[in-house]
Amino acid sequence: ENSPAPLPERAIYGFALFLGSWFGFMLYLIWAYVPETWLFSLGLTYWPQKYWAVALPAYLLVAIGIGYILLFGINMMSTAPLNSTDTITDNYAKKQQQKKFQEEAIPALRDIPISEVNRMFFLPEK
Amino acid sequence: AMEERPYRSASGAALALRRRQHSASCRELAVCCPRLQLRSLSAATSAVWLAAYGLFVLSENSVVLSAAIFITLFGLIIYLHFVKIDQESLLVIGSLGIQVTSSYASGKESTTFIEMSRVKDVVINEAIHMQKVIYYLCILLQDPGDPQGVSEVVPLFQSSKPRLDCLIEVYKSCQEILAQRKTAPQSS
Repeated sequence: ENSPAPLPERAIYGFALFLGSWFGFMLYLIWAYVPETWLFSLGLTYWPQKYWAVALPAYLLVAIGIGYILLFGINMMSTAPLNSTDTITDNYAKKQQQKKFQEEAIPALRDIPISEVNRMFFLPEK
Repeated sequence: AMEERPYRSASGAALALRRRQHSASCRELAVCCPRLQLRSLSAATSAVWLAAYGLFVLSENSVVLSAAIFITLFGLIIYLHFVKIDQESLLVIGSLGIQVTSSYASGKESTTFIEMSRVKDVVINEAIHMQKVIYYLCILLQDPGDPQGVSEVVPLFQSSKPRLDCLIEVYKSCQEILAQRKTAPQSS
């Protein structure tokens, strides 16, 4: 039901978007290049200033560039510092319930405390 | 008895781990960082002075040159006193507590003591630090309300950042002493 396969509706949406984007681009070119006097003589007097035909793409490109740096910075800020307990445990691990140990069954999945993990990794088995 | 072994830091610098056993329940582990190199000091000084001379040639103002000299002098003093760490050491006394000392290049020493009742465990933890995943040794402090909980994490060897092999040595030494806590319970 949710497959990405092509459907007739999707073909129509795609073609509508294609026509719409071409129309938008042609409108943008006309707004940017056709002199104001010609537009006034056609009766189109309330279009935005042509300044924005250059300003908006410039703003957009700078915003995309800043967005890369911003995302990088937000990632660095959200990383837990080395002295926080978030590097060791979290609310789900603290509230987990201990399941009863059953003979000859695979032990239930649980968050193993870091002391136990360390002992297993770094102290030699006797 | 004191033994010293060479190791590497996370960034590749040469470190030395000094292990000293004072008694059966008291051990001192010190990680020594490389000293300030003359070549990096000269490089930094020359870079600052060349930049200042360039500014002087552009602005014809000799204050730039004196300012550069003062900046270099004060910068070096502040760096040696607050930033450059010579040695980080860990003194584990079984029945008493753990003392963490950082010695700066200017001779300043900053010490923290954590008593043994507050220490839950000393573990090697992995965490993300500056686009890398590093191993670091840390002391887990006991949460007074919850016997299983950890109230605080105290990272150790933050400036020298030794690699895993050095950390495993320090971890084993600490665990030998911490294990004595359970086998020899206090009479208080």
